[in-house]
Amino acid sequence: MPVAASAIYFLNLRGDVLINRLYRDDVGGNMVDAFRTHIMQTKDLGTCPVRQVGGCSFLYMRIMNVYVVAVVSSNANAACAFKFMVETVALFKSYFGGAFDEDAIRNNFVLIYELLDEIMDFGYPQNLSPEILKLYITQEGVRSPFSSKAIDNKPPVNATLQVTGAVGWRREGLVYKKNEVFLDIVESVNLLMSQKGTTLRCDVTGKVLMKCFLSGMPDLKLGLNDKIGLEKEAEVKSRPTRSGKTIELDDVTFHQCVNLTRFTAEKTVSFVPPDGEFELMKYRISEGINLPFRVLPSIKELGRTRMEVNVKVKSVFGAKMFALGVVVKVPVPKHTAKANFQLTSGRAKYNAATDCLVWKVRKFPGQTELTMSAEVELISTMVDKKTWTRPPIQMEFQVPMFTASGLRVRFLKVWEKSGYNTVEWVRYITRAGSYEIRC
Amino acid sequence: MALSGMRGLSTFISDVRNCQNKEAERSRVDKELANIRTRFKNDKGLTVYEKKKYVWKMLYIYMLGYDMDFGHMETVSLISAPKYPEKQVGYIVTSCLLNENHDFLKLVINTVRNDIIGNNETFQCLALTMVGNIGGRDFSESLASDVQKILLSNSCRPIVRKKAALCLLRLYRKNPDAVNVDGWSERMVHLLDERDIGVLTAVMSLLVSLVAKSQDAYWSCVPKCVRILERLTRGQDIPQEYTYYGIPSPWLQVKTMRVLQYFPAIEDPNIRKSLFETLQRILLGTDVVKNVNKNNASHAVLFEALALVMHLNAEKEMLSQCVALLGKFIAVREPNIRYLGLENMTRMLLVVDVQDIIKKHQAQIITSLKDPDISIRRRSLDLLYGMCDVTNAKEIVEELLQYLTKADFGIREELALKAAILSESFATDLDWYVDVILQLIEKAGDFVSDDIWYRVVQFVTNDEHLQVYAAAKALDYLDKPAVHETMVKLAGYLLGEYSHLLARRPGCTPKDIFDVIYDKFAVVSIGTKALLLSAFVKILLHSQPQDPDLRERVLEIFKRYECSVDAEVQQRCIEYLTLCAKGPSMVDIMAEMPKFPVRQSALLKKAGDAERDVAEESATKLRVQQQNSTALVVVEPQSNGAGPPILTPSAAPVQKKQASPSDLPPSAHPAALPVGNGHTEVSAVTAEDVSVPSLPEDPVTEPTPPPEPAPAPSGANLLADLLAPLAIEAPPGYAAPDSIVDSSQDPGPSAGTSGLAPMQSSGPADALALALYDGPSTKVQPIGSVEDWFNALVIKDSGILYEDPFVQIGIKSDWRGIQGRLVLFLGNKHNASLTNVRAVVLPPPHLRFKSSPVPDTIPPRAQVQCPFDVFCLRASRETAVLEFSYNNGNIPVSAQLKLPVLINKFLQPVTVSANDFVARWRALAGPPLKLQEVVRNVRPMPLIEMANLFNSLHIGVATGLDPNENNIVSATTFYSESAQATLCLIRVETDPSDRTQLRLTVGSQDLTTTYELMEYIKQQLIDTPPPTMVSPNVPTTIPTNSELTGPAALLNGLI
Repeated sequence: MPVAASAIYFLNLRGDVLINRLYRDDVGGNMVDAFRTHIMQTKDLGTCPVRQVGGCSFLYMRIMNVYVVAVVSSNANAACAFKFMVETVALFKSYFGGAFDEDAIRNNFVLIYELLDEIMDFGYPQNLSPEILKLYITQEGVRSPFSSKAIDNKPPVNATLQVTGAVGWRREGLVYKKNEVFLDIVESVNLLMSQKGTTLRCDVTGKVLMKCFLSGMPDLKLGLNDKIGLEKEAEVKSRPTRSGKTIELDDVTFHQCVNLTRFTAEKTVSFVPPDGEFELMKYRISEGINLPFRVLPSIKELGRTRMEVNVKVKSVFGAKMFALGVVVKVPVPKHTAKANFQLTSGRAKYNAATDCLVWKVRKFPGQTELTMSAEVELISTMVDKKTWTRPPIQMEFQVPMFTASGLRVRFLKVWEKSGYNTVEWVRYITRAGSYEIRC
Repeated sequence: MALSGMRGLSTFISDVRNCQNKEAERSRVDKELANIRTRFKNDKGLTVYEKKKYVWKMLYIYMLGYDMDFGHMETVSLISAPKYPEKQVGYIVTSCLLNENHDFLKLVINTVRNDIIGNNETFQCLALTMVGNIGGRDFSESLASDVQKILLSNSCRPIVRKKAALCLLRLYRKNPDAVNVDGWSERMVHLLDERDIGVLTAVMSLLVSLVAKSQDAYWSCVPKCVRILERLTRGQDIPQEYTYYGIPSPWLQVKTMRVLQYFPAIEDPNIRKSLFETLQRILLGTDVVKNVNKNNASHAVLFEALALVMHLNAEKEMLSQCVALLGKFIAVREPNIRYLGLENMTRMLLVVDVQDIIKKHQAQIITSLKDPDISIRRRSLDLLYGMCDVTNAKEIVEELLQYLTKADFGIREELALKAAILSESFATDLDWYVDVILQLIEKAGDFVSDDIWYRVVQFVTNDEHLQVYAAAKALDYLDKPAVHETMVKLAGYLLGEYSHLLARRPGCTPKDIFDVIYDKFAVVSIGTKALLLSAFVKILLHSQPQDPDLRERVLEIFKRYECSVDAEVQQRCIEYLTLCAKGPSMVDIMAEMPKFPVRQSALLKKAGDAERDVAEESATKLRVQQQNSTALVVVEPQSNGAGPPILTPSAAPVQKKQASPSDLPPSAHPAALPVGNGHTEVSAVTAEDVSVPSLPEDPVTEPTPPPEPAPAPSGANLLADLLAPLAIEAPPGYAAPDSIVDSSQDPGPSAGTSGLAPMQSSGPADALALALYDGPSTKVQPIGSVEDWFNALVIKDSGILYEDPFVQIGIKSDWRGIQGRLVLFLGNKHNASLTNVRAVVLPPPHLRFKSSPVPDTIPPRAQVQCPFDVFCLRASRETAVLEFSYNNGNIPVSAQLKLPVLINKFLQPVTVSANDFVARWRALAGPPLKLQEVVRNVRPMPLIEMANLFNSLHIGVATGLDPNENNIVSATTFYSESAQATLCLIRVETDPSDRTQLRLTVGSQDLTTTYELMEYIKQQLIDTPPPTMVSPNVPTTIPTNSELTGPAALLNGLI
């Protein structure tokens, strides 16, 4: 097991330490000053997440208005450190009720110290699962002895057994009145398209998120329309695969609850779920992707002080579906003075802070074509700077009940000893990752 | 200001100030910029108020550090507004946003001029201020006369004239012609009569600038300046608003004294007297008070006065007064004042001879060395270093050594270096020097650079009396439990060399010494191990009779490291093992190192380098200069990374080999050696320049017949060419052969300098040299042909230029474009000094030489380097001549030597594509730019050889350009000052059936270059001897026309 971090710092954007914890003695307490002076105050903050200053490596990420910085002096496992930081943030979020920012940290010092003590030991990450930690680190922190509420005489949970048992991620004896399972397939589409409309880079990263409210120790089985699973099934049941589309998944990773031996043997995803929310699997797809939108831009520079922008966006998903929160960002030169728009739908304005025209459409129905044309006026500048670089057009959107990969849930079965009935809810959603079209 | 009432502006500023971080600020600013752009672009135009507001915002954003690349038009247009508020904004923002090179400024020159010549004083002030800040050349040309008029006018108020003077200063700086008016100096004198101090201060600033460039015209200002100074120091007629903490206008005082410093010492006794009285008043009237601002002002005046005193070469009495005053300063507790005191004392040291007076304050200065403030410690260190001389050296060095253990790390290296230099320069006895350095290493080993202990080695080696003492001391220090590695190096070296001198003492048997060194062997780095291995072999071979036990142990170490990963250690082990196996006959190889030539301390140079950025005139620098003037020999610092080969004992041959380029035969590498017969084993022992001279003494090898006299010179020549640069680069390289040869034929001249002369000199050649030495009346003849040497140098960059029994002149050159650097190595091979040495270059008109002085005397067995810089002005075939002469005893010897600075040295081959070549070739129409000639009586040679010759002449041959394979086409660039880089194209058409004739075409853009190059190539083709680099097997590789290239044909060509 590699060392992940010698120290963890949480800094605000000004570089002040909000809270920190040293796990090993090999870094000094003042190393964070080096981070502030050598990394935060330089321009390349944000370009590289690992920097080395004075024999120490700083691994950092920014979440909201907080920098999470891991400092190591030995040859540490960077991936492990980042995973640790991501998990830590997720853990904090679940404790703080979803928010993770400077104020949340300031309000929960005691709790955070308790958690930091628990989740890492001498630089080695420990159990970071919120479900388990909540068993013995209660959200209330210190309990007042004069509290009117009597301490409930629940037998103390056997935390040790829990952690070391076979199903370390699920508590025994859960009871729900209504047994429900929610399953979301969330995909984000990354696209880079050239000026002429040829696809330069296109892939989909997806995750299967679950939320379980199930009693007892249920055993779940999930079937998708992916290639391996279907082929295996066809083999077992000796019948030809159905004519429908099969999806080839690359780089699949599972939550620890998935029984991997059964997956390798039978190619079925079966698992005993943890209670509450978790991420069941992640995957990547690089072929056979249905793009939800086509964008046809045309940007003409008319002389030195005028530009004509014309963007046509066409939705290519089913006519009954619709996209929400569509935002098209068309970059314009830095010295833009004014823009006049003509739109078929939505609203548009010029955003000076990001130097682009932002066109927002709240609801974008399928199989339609919307256009934005704008006349941009530029101010004349002192120096003829080098020609404008024309950064790509960016797009944001969410399309519910649509998967760019075509992935579908074929079945989700729940078995429990008591044999109760469960309600399964399945949702699909496709989002834009970095959806860029050069112009 | 007009900010009040601009709500938009103050909201924006408070927004920006309230931003939590940089990002928020940037987005706020970007938003505001977009807003401003939209407003400026607005078709309706802006109201005056809005324009003003947005221009203020622009200025604020610009001051926050953001780029401002628009809106200048709006700003500039405000200048021409009729009302004050707008004009003011326009002028202020313009002078912030724009600089003198912006084209926008040209638009406003006229408006500005109107303001300046107008009647409104406020507008005049605004305009003058703006021009004074960003006025450029254009302004200078169109406004200078108007500004002068204002300055000289009587009707203008002082505030305007003040600004006019400063504005004129700016214009003068941008364009010196601005005040290039007849009689301006008289007007300046007239201006100095001004009573208003403000105007006077501004005028004085102008005067400082003027006299900095040329003081001659302004002599008449001197008495006025003295009078102004007098008036100020007396405090007569000074308005209240111009006194600063009771001091009458310190700025004007300082400036006036600065002006006076630009003039050479004042002769007129009256003025001088009144000036000195004034200075005296300043010196006496200044004291340290509590108020910081008052101190600052009075000290600024005082230090300027000190500088003036130093400049005027005042009497000793006044100087001692100054020093006394400074002494008071350095006794103050306030660190700033102490710092100033120390710094000015250091400066005084430089200029005038006040060392004795300063010495009185030595105790105080030493106290400052312990100050908590590092800058004060540095200053006092500097001062101590500067004031050190023979009388107080011991005390000061002692202090420095004590301080060393407490000093911060930043300063330690410098401190160690300085202590080393002082102890070396002012040592009354060398024992003390050795003690100091050993203490230095012990106390701060990490900070003692290698140069310091190399220097000790030089001293010890050169002083026989010191050797025993140093060895004993080294042994003491090495015997301590924890020893720094530098100490191990130094002690290891000293003990290796001189331990046998200690042999009589108790506890100093070779075995004991070996034990002491071996104790440290395990923990030192590879480089040190290599050094210690040499020490071991020396200890072993010096001990007579050899202790078998010791021998056993030493050999065991060698065997253990025989397969060390480090090539150096491995090679030494193998060599030393073989040496030991040879037995006592090899002892001589391990004899003590010979004395070093006297050389400048590398430390001083280093100290000078370290100082350069500290203060421009530091004591160190001065000292370096003094040392330089007395130094006999100036040796260039070692430029290659091989470290100083001079100082590593028997490693000298080995290191030399490393430093050399690959021109040594590969057999020098032990791995490539067939071990088996005695001959090759010997050459495995050391580098071949050591093994070769030892051949005749080697009993295993069959005695080689003495070489024939005839081939000897040429053979030697060839080898000498190969090795001479090496031998020259590493002067003590001759150590090893010397120690062998000398033992048999001391005090003969032995011609050891090149390290290979003994090869033929063991035979008749040496006898010749001896004969020459015995008969002093015989005329000194060069050994070998000067002509041959010259011809070899034509196509090479280094080699021997001249050699006779007493002196050897090597040459090394380096060519880059139009300039080249020649270094002459004058080596005295003789055992006595050569005196009256002169080396003068008589340059032909087309070359410019910059030479450095040649020392008058070359000490015995020393080598002197004389660098020359050569610049090529135009093409010519003439060569420069070196007139070289010296006196050997009383016999004058002189020689006139052609220097190999020919046209080809300034050539640089270029590669040209076929199309390019053809195009350029066609572009050169014909004579005189392109010349063609049929050359006859060419020395016949195969094409490849001709191509080689061309290549060695830096005329690059472009293969494949000409379809006819009997032709050679080449392109090269000729660099000269007159024509800069000239591309020269050359085509040679040969006739395969008659190699003695060819057609030569040369073309270039410059007609003299074409002609000269043509003639030069013809000369080379007709009568060059076969270049030495072409080995005899070349003809055989070209079988086609072998009958023409046979030796007979070659001979034929020669005749």
